Amino acid sequence: MKPRYFSTFQLILLAQFAALIVVAKIALRLPLQLPGHSGLFWMAIVMVGAGVVPKRGAATLIGLTSAILAAFLGLGDFGALDTFLSYLAVGVATDLALWLMGSPENLAVAPLAGATGHFGKFLVKWALAGILGAPMGFVALGLLKSIVSYLVFGALGGFLGALTLAALRRAGFFAYLAERK
Amino acid sequence: MKQKTRINIGLLVLVVLVGSVLGIEAWRRARAERQTVGEVVLTPGSVPIYLDGQLIAGFQPTDLEQLSKVSFVDAEQGKTQEGWLLRDVLLLHLQRKRLKADSLITVSSSSRNKSARVTWAQADEAANWVMFDLSGRGTLKLVSVLEGLKTRDQWVQDVDRIEITSK
Repeated sequence: MKPRYFSTFQLILLAQFAALIVVAKIALRLPLQLPGHSGLFWMAIVMVGAGVVPKRGAATLIGLTSAILAAFLGLGDFGALDTFLSYLAVGVATDLALWLMGSPENLAVAPLAGATGHFGKFLVKWALAGILGAPMGFVALGLLKSIVSYLVFGALGGFLGALTLAALRRAGFFAYLAERK
Repeated sequence: MKQKTRINIGLLVLVVLVGSVLGIEAWRRARAERQTVGEVVLTPGSVPIYLDGQLIAGFQPTDLEQLSKVSFVDAEQGKTQEGWLLRDVLLLHLQRKRLKADSLITVSSSSRNKSARVTWAQADEAANWVMFDLSGRGTLKLVSVLEGLKTRDQWVQDVDRIEITSK
């Protein structure tokens, strides 16, 4: 029998990371009045997930699962479709970035992949607004501020994720995982 | 391909994407010419304010310099909503005497096909937090803690019209 691409153990791990994103989104409230500041923990979790399950599509699967959970829980200010697509975009964009640049454990790759993944979310929100005919940005400078904020918090999240992966490796977590395929 | 090259390509893709978004937004802004209705000039992105069917002003980004920011934490998700009170926005363009306690203010979004209606008395009460929050994509969102206007489903995202009925 052809082995499955993701083992059951890996699927459970990815589902847990997805749930962690949604829980963190609900429970963690950073006192920062900046758009996209949740990218700090969001991208860290995605990056750790993609590092713990080092297969193409791992981040996408985290994105898809968290998107379904978030849409059903009614998260986000712009409706279920916006929530679903933006959560999914984070995963897809992160996967594409990691496919191009390499391992999320690399301290140069992770911030860039984090920024790209998080910017994927911004792109979806911005594109949906355009498609739905939303009015032009009230404050032009607000859009630039949003973009910079999304990129910075995404990059910081990616960096945190890489540091976490390095700590997990030092603690022998990957050796433990290798025994539990 | 060397990893350094791959990282550079990744960085380049990101820069191109950001540049495209800013370019498209600038093009949209340039395309939407200033609209003059009577003596009222509406700049791209501004929100027209109508009083009894007549356009009296446009809520413009430059207005924000004259308004003070306020904030509250919403009960639904515990997020801080920060922005400008609808009351202050209206008083910037209208004299208080033109608004009666029972004047109806309708804030709507044509793209979302949504609207919310409050009386001037409700909007004038600061504790109701009837205000505009600036969304991440730069559009205005009407939020409040008023009954019937305190959840995300009831808020009006992407606001593009304010209408006051005083008669």
